[in-house]
Amino acid sequence: MTREVFIAYVEREQEALRGFLLALCCGKKDDADDLAQDALVKAYLSCAGYQDKGKFRSWLFKIAYNTFLNHKASQRSTESIDEARTLVSSTTADSEFEHQDLYLAMRTLPPKERSAITLFYLNGYNVKEIAVITETSEDAVKKQLSRGRDRLREQLIIDN
Amino acid sequence: MDMKKDKALEELFLSQKPHFSDKADFMAALTKRLDAVEFIKQHQEAAIRRYKMLMVVAFVVGIVSGALAIGYVLSTPVDVPLFTFHVQTGLLLWLVENSRMIAATGLSLLMTLGIISIISNVQDILRMRVSLKA
Repeated sequence: MTREVFIAYVEREQEALRGFLLALCCGKKDDADDLAQDALVKAYLSCAGYQDKGKFRSWLFKIAYNTFLNHKASQRSTESIDEARTLVSSTTADSEFEHQDLYLAMRTLPPKERSAITLFYLNGYNVKEIAVITETSEDAVKKQLSRGRDRLREQLIIDN
Repeated sequence: MDMKKDKALEELFLSQKPHFSDKADFMAALTKRLDAVEFIKQHQEAAIRRYKMLMVVAFVVGIVSGALAIGYVLSTPVDVPLFTFHVQTGLLLWLVENSRMIAATGLSLLMTLGIISIISNVQDILRMRVSLKA
């Protein structure tokens, strides 16, 4: 894939990619854009190995998902879910975006559940496709979706 | 069987699907990063080319000089030692008597070490290439 073709694909997919990472970063736009840039550079460096024609978005999401997980792991966050719950009241999500309740509720989800929920509800992927992107089994994805949905519902009810 | 979607949750997600007004800025920042990546990549590739060329030169010089040295050793008369010592002790006399064998063994060892070192460097180059492509 040439650089021009890569840029053209990215121009087409950037909004979906940034939206996905924005949800994973719970509305922190700067973090999401930094991760998107990192993921795109990684994608560019490995685009010679890209073969799944017509599945560029899924391939990009897979790289973005791994970049996000690596970023979370390198942060060595001491933030537990309970601590995150206490942060829900403080609006740390980017003020540019409306409906911050969802982003704040997303903070209570572990990264893998957050990713599965985002891919399912925001990006419209089915369980099989999510399993391919996150490199897990379909059963694991179903569990993540089920747990994530329950936690999210619970948190949104608490918020409201 | 696929998972059923929670309609309320889906609507909530879709209602706040972000729209980015800074797409051009994002692409400009990405282009800059890709330029930097290209620059580093080209620099590394040039370094690998230079390294490879040096290895080829070292290999050729090693083979030619080794062959010349061995040729010289073999061309000298058998009964004339390659080197002599002015002190006549047991060990030195033995060295003088076996000077041709010792020189040939030394040269062979040097050439073997040189070839091992070149093979190791070529493997380094290949590893660098693979990591550059990854």
